[in-house]
Amino acid sequence: MKENFKLTNRKNLLVETKEPRSPFLMNVIKISGVFFLICLGLQLFPEMAWGQSPAVREYGNFPMIGSRTAIWIAAQVHLLFAAFVLGVPMFAIVAEAIGIFGNNEKYDNLAKEFTRLLLVAYSATAIWGAILVFLLITLYPRFWLYLAEIFEVSMWVYVALFFFESFTLYLYYYGWDRWKKGHAKMVHWSLGIMLNVWGTLVMLIANSWLTYMMSPPADVGPDTAPAMVQFWSAFANATWMPINIHRILANVVFGGAIVGAYAAYRFLMAKTDEERAHYDWMGYVGNLIAIGALIVLPFAGYYLGREIYEFNQQMGITMMGGFMSWLWIIQAFLIGVLFLAGNYYLWVGMGRIPGAERFVPYTKYMLFVLVLGVIIWATPNTMIANREEISAMGGTHHPFLGVLGVMSAKNTAVNIMILTTFLSFLLYRRANIRPTVSWARTGTLIQGALFVISAGVVIFYGVYGYFVSAIVRIGFSVYQVLAVLFTIVSVMVIDILLGRGAEFRGDIRWGEMPPRSQYALFILAVTFTWLMGLMGFARSGIRQHWHVWEVMRDTSEWAATPALGYASIVISVCVFIFLGLVAFIFWLGGLAEKPATSSVAESAPLGAIVTPASTTSES
Amino acid sequence: MLAENLRILSVVLGTLAVFTLIANSIPQVQSEVPPDLDFSANVTEAELVSSGEALYSGAGGCVACHGLGTRAPNLLTDEGGTGAIGARCGSRVPGQDCKSYLYASMVDPNDFLVAGYSPIMPDMRRSMSDAQIWATVAFLESQGGTVTVTGSDIVSEGDGSGGTASSPVPTTATAGPASASSDPLDILRDNTCLVCHQFNGEGTPMGPPFDGIGSRVSSDYIRSSILDPAAEVSEGYENFAGLMPATFGTQMTASQLEIVVQFLANQR
Repeated sequence: MKENFKLTNRKNLLVETKEPRSPFLMNVIKISGVFFLICLGLQLFPEMAWGQSPAVREYGNFPMIGSRTAIWIAAQVHLLFAAFVLGVPMFAIVAEAIGIFGNNEKYDNLAKEFTRLLLVAYSATAIWGAILVFLLITLYPRFWLYLAEIFEVSMWVYVALFFFESFTLYLYYYGWDRWKKGHAKMVHWSLGIMLNVWGTLVMLIANSWLTYMMSPPADVGPDTAPAMVQFWSAFANATWMPINIHRILANVVFGGAIVGAYAAYRFLMAKTDEERAHYDWMGYVGNLIAIGALIVLPFAGYYLGREIYEFNQQMGITMMGGFMSWLWIIQAFLIGVLFLAGNYYLWVGMGRIPGAERFVPYTKYMLFVLVLGVIIWATPNTMIANREEISAMGGTHHPFLGVLGVMSAKNTAVNIMILTTFLSFLLYRRANIRPTVSWARTGTLIQGALFVISAGVVIFYGVYGYFVSAIVRIGFSVYQVLAVLFTIVSVMVIDILLGRGAEFRGDIRWGEMPPRSQYALFILAVTFTWLMGLMGFARSGIRQHWHVWEVMRDTSEWAATPALGYASIVISVCVFIFLGLVAFIFWLGGLAEKPATSSVAESAPLGAIVTPASTTSES
Repeated sequence: MLAENLRILSVVLGTLAVFTLIANSIPQVQSEVPPDLDFSANVTEAELVSSGEALYSGAGGCVACHGLGTRAPNLLTDEGGTGAIGARCGSRVPGQDCKSYLYASMVDPNDFLVAGYSPIMPDMRRSMSDAQIWATVAFLESQGGTVTVTGSDIVSEGDGSGGTASSPVPTTATAGPASASSDPLDILRDNTCLVCHQFNGEGTPMGPPFDGIGSRVSSDYIRSSILDPAAEVSEGYENFAGLMPATFGTQMTASQLEIVVQFLANQR
């Protein structure tokens, strides 16, 4: 036993020598270099300070694509990487916690693999952040000075926090195998929590800058000098908190989707059954995280929308009914793709679960409900119509589509789709067990009743919404989502209790998934990424020709907000750049270290990690 | 392996292509920037109406609410049997002619809220210049009525927040004529002090506000700041050093200066 332990350790040492020399130091130097340059930019440029140098030009020019598109691409790709590196640590610490408190090594390995993906994406986030800052300084110098003067302190704090985040991340990853036992493991987990804290604070600060552009305080006008803007009222502006909440959830969704795509790729390239089983399971977890967080995302979306309307009705109307009307039709289509692909993955996954056959007949009904929901969600309504179009329709709304195209119908549709997706997940969960508790039938009936009641609440408020004003109708969406969330939580609790001592119909045959299911994960990842780009355009575009809404006008030649067609091309380019870079850096990461692929069929307790036999997984 | 990679790439590119094609196959609406308007006193009716129509249908963003007739009154065709806006605007408020009513509706929209609609319209001066507002009024008058807007109505182009404003740099205040009043507020107003200093919600917060100034500085400090503004600059206002003219000592009489100093010193 002792000899075996030595051999294994020697093997691990050999594995470690495959990693680049001092990767920790190299990464720190790399990140430090990038942020030194950012600090330099932040510090040097304000030296030409506001009002002291009237010769500061208004705008620079980026060749070929123009300044607006250049900034757009830099900001979007940076945001995509940032979303990934903020989302992944959240479920990495959850997975690690399950590993610690559930004594389950496979979750600990999964958490480490999540973090490894994070590590390689982190440098790219910083590099794109630097690109964005330098483009802002050179292409929009006057606007940058304005923003820097209001937020300079927070910019310094931002840089400091980024350093904390970087060091914590490297400690977290490189200390994984060193701090694996007892109290040291808890300290290690605490590092993961700190990583999330630093990352979230960084995001909160950056969000204040961009939300100030959307919703500056009411007492700030075009003649208000930046030095006169109260820092805290600018920082904690009207849309800051809604954006914070929305982004935190969206980051989890996005991180889960990208992890799912990564696992799908590794699944398709796997050479052994063990590897295939591991990545099948990882893909399932990634999809579960993405779809699970997606279900609560609309609530944050409604909150954000409501706050935008509260801040400025005109801005809200521009967003929902002005030149951006059609954007929501595209969004509905994308959400439809997400729901259909997510459900399809679950339905195909049932093929590897013993006992799931009994639920297969129901999938066609769920598919019908989902398709119907997508059709309603994607029905156009408040489109800008010219005089001829109004005459042709016989009114400002299409006589048929006008009924389905309003938010009452759309909110109802999307909530029913969420309930249906949750039902899919519930059937997936229940597939290989048969509850044996005495109240099993009653519990299942209660679950069914909760589904019916919440669907009733959703439909009731959907119909009632036709008879009230817009601002009241938006409030109804909160009740609808709360009913759905209540049902999800309640049904889930009942289901966990029902599962105690349940009759087991057989193990999930991880790895026995048809390749088509993995392509669904790719489509999910691409769609989530594209959707983030689209929503970024919506959030930023509702400012129209204002750098800062009704405070600082964009007088550049690129001030007009482009139509959706052009926006879609830029979004696709951003998504392609992002996914291409992600694929490249994941490949680079794979060169440095082979991933943990412990067998998912065995659930070794975490204590077993230190035993010789289980330390071979990285060899 | 190569085949698998190509399949994955095809799925990714195919998905991107589908989304891009769909987004390009729908009506394309670009959010235009309201054009700067610079009318002379001899501007023609046709020019005003044409400019107004472009703003109404495009960059002004009016149709997002008025074009539908659900969020705001329908202005172009009919609203509850009263006809287009040009036909009804003159009788909406007793004693107010069409163009006055329309102008007031754009700058104080909630004063004449049409029954059944929510007060969602903003003060259009925040996003449009005076010339743009008048052009829009002319266009609306032309919808079933007679255009009465003329070049003489357009008294000022832009108010700092409208069409031509782009720089957030505040302009330097210019000193006004000396006041004959002995009322401290009149003196402050006549000498344009409230252009840069805010008091009781009046004025622009470019320099230190007058609210509570007596609790922050002494009367001597106030006096010397008026006579020699550059001698000492308040903390936080260093960027505006040199903007305040040093001419108030000659614009005000000695008694007016003391009235102002004592008035401000008592603002606690």
